[in-house]
Amino acid sequence: MRGDSSRERILARVAKATASRQRLPHPGALVTPPADDPVGGFVKRFTSSGGEVAEADPERSPSEWLTGFLGGLDPAVAGVAIGADVPADLRPRLPAVAAAHAGAGISVAWGAVAESGSLVLPSTGTRTAQLLPPVHIVWVPEGRVFARLEDALAELQDGLPAGVGLHSGPSKSADIGRTVVTGVHGPGRCIALVGPGSTASTGVT
Amino acid sequence: MRVEIRDYASRSREIIKEEPGVREAVTGATIAFDEKRRQGYSEIDADAWRRWAEGVKNHTLTHLDHYLTEAEARLEANGAQVHWASDATEAREIVTRLAKQHSVRSVVKGKSMATEEIDLNLALEDAGIEVFETDLGEYILQLLEEPPSHILGPAIHKSLQQVQRLFADRLGSAPDGDPDTLAEAARLVLRDAFIRADMGITGGNFLVAETGTVALIENEGNIRLTTSLPRVHVAVVGIEKLLPRMTDLAGFLQLTARAATGQPIGCFVSLVQGPAVHPDDDGPEEVHVVLVDNGRTDVLAHEHAWEALRCVRCGACLNACPVYRQTGGHAYGWVYSGPIGSVLDPGLLGLHEAMPLPFASSLCGACTDACPVRIPIPELLLHWREEAQEEGLTPWKERAALAGLASVATRPGLYRLAGRIGSRLGATGVARALPMLGEWARDRALPKPSRQTFRQLWREGIE
Ligand code: SF4
Repeated sequence: MRGDSSRERILARVAKATASRQRLPHPGALVTPPADDPVGGFVKRFTSSGGEVAEADPERSPSEWLTGFLGGLDPAVAGVAIGADVPADLRPRLPAVAAAHAGAGISVAWGAVAESGSLVLPSTGTRTAQLLPPVHIVWVPEGRVFARLEDALAELQDGLPAGVGLHSGPSKSADIGRTVVTGVHGPGRCIALVGPGSTASTGVT
Repeated sequence: MRVEIRDYASRSREIIKEEPGVREAVTGATIAFDEKRRQGYSEIDADAWRRWAEGVKNHTLTHLDHYLTEAEARLEANGAQVHWASDATEAREIVTRLAKQHSVRSVVKGKSMATEEIDLNLALEDAGIEVFETDLGEYILQLLEEPPSHILGPAIHKSLQQVQRLFADRLGSAPDGDPDTLAEAARLVLRDAFIRADMGITGGNFLVAETGTVALIENEGNIRLTTSLPRVHVAVVGIEKLLPRMTDLAGFLQLTARAATGQPIGCFVSLVQGPAVHPDDDGPEEVHVVLVDNGRTDVLAHEHAWEALRCVRCGACLNACPVYRQTGGHAYGWVYSGPIGSVLDPGLLGLHEAMPLPFASSLCGACTDACPVRIPIPELLLHWREEAQEEGLTPWKERAALAGLASVATRPGLYRLAGRIGSRLGATGVARALPMLGEWARDRALPKPSRQTFRQLWREGIE
């Protein structure tokens, strides 16, 4: 097959091209300064990239609080798309609709990263809920906020799903007249609900 | 994309003379990008990060066969299918065949220089397949039937007024629509395209060997959608995009974003390991990765130019380049423009095809200072110039002028004199290749001459 012979040809050419070259060593890990307040660092970075952060009212159940929060958004959210891995107690009491028609998508993060201000979202959490609605709301358990991206990716590596999204703010573009517009393709608002908890699967308790 | 590098000088003149708006738009955008890059670098120990990134890439490139086979094995273990393409023709054939096999009628694409390089859209359209570029800038250019003019901001040479006219004409939006209204008009068309598409096609910023991860950086979310919604995802990835480990990726994702736009990371990063296997994953049923050579092994074999393969396509060298700012990318005549184009194109296409790009530089070094992987662009340009002269590829007048320049450059007194009167001379080889030189050289000083020859410095290791 032509494809197979191309494989051999390319690998042979690569081997030949590098044969006489000194094999250079890997420089090892990139050493970056440690962060002492990962949650604070995450909030700072995430919000400076246009992300929003809200805190659930500890006096109310997460589900009840989220239902009220969604009703208070402008425009008020009537139907939601919910990620398959969002536990029942973190789901709002609103009709579930197809992601393409939902006012908001609800997810639970596998983790978050202070260094880059990122939410780590596995594909097992329903990609369409993460991407199609105009607002994306993500539960973030405080105990899952990593100081550095390297630490998060190293841990994620063990059970790596087919796809992972790192979301670090709303969808943005400056392609027209160098003016920043939000919500071009993905959600125009990305709201992290940071609260107590330390496991991604049970989320905020 | 057709190679039209030969006309670089005349095209530059034409753009400067007949499209003054291009220079204004490109200069404004690149200066803004460059300022953001500086800010982004100032927040980290940029020198340490850049040295580290240079080291990781050098290690990878000198062990490339090992990492390519490791990536292939991991991808296959993840359920993805790997294809190898020696050249652009084979890469086009592979993707078109996959599209036919899956009865694809409509494709959404994420911004990808590799697919521009292999002219993929044309091949798909010839096969009767509808193609939507989904990056907003790329979509504007697709409507205009123009190639991108910047790695990162493909439409930076277009003004708001031009987009208003285009969208009013093609999408029926208000002729005085603001950027929000215009983006919304495009979003409506493209959202429908995403929902209908049978295949998503992207490039790949990085390919992690250890995990078989194709990593993609963006800000709009269109690549997340392209890799998630259609039932088939095809990633077209140059063989130089390898990284050994997932932990390396963490550094590269951040450094690339900082170099490109000053951001700590792109708003969206997609890490693609393979097709959806988990019952709750609504991602693609098939993932194909096409590994493309198309001249890269020639570059890898080149004694000096191989260093250009460290490039992560951040565009920082374009933004920093006083020559690029005058014309934007179209003058360069191929997909890779600006400083990186001038060193990479001769390697990918052959020096003959890429003339006179190695001369399209003042060797000011701003590109290398900006580059996140420290590619020594001025040194590589000098190597290409030397080869061009050895092969007799420069016209005699240019050769004579360059020989003159070289001799002047090795005699500090003369060089300083030439520097003082340089902008009035205007007839050196460089000036001939850089028809805009007079414009920007007016208030610029030439670099301070060295007491040693370039070769001597090079051997001793320039820092
Ligand atoms: S050469 Fe360096 S600065 Fe230019 S695009 Fe490549 S990585 Fe970026």
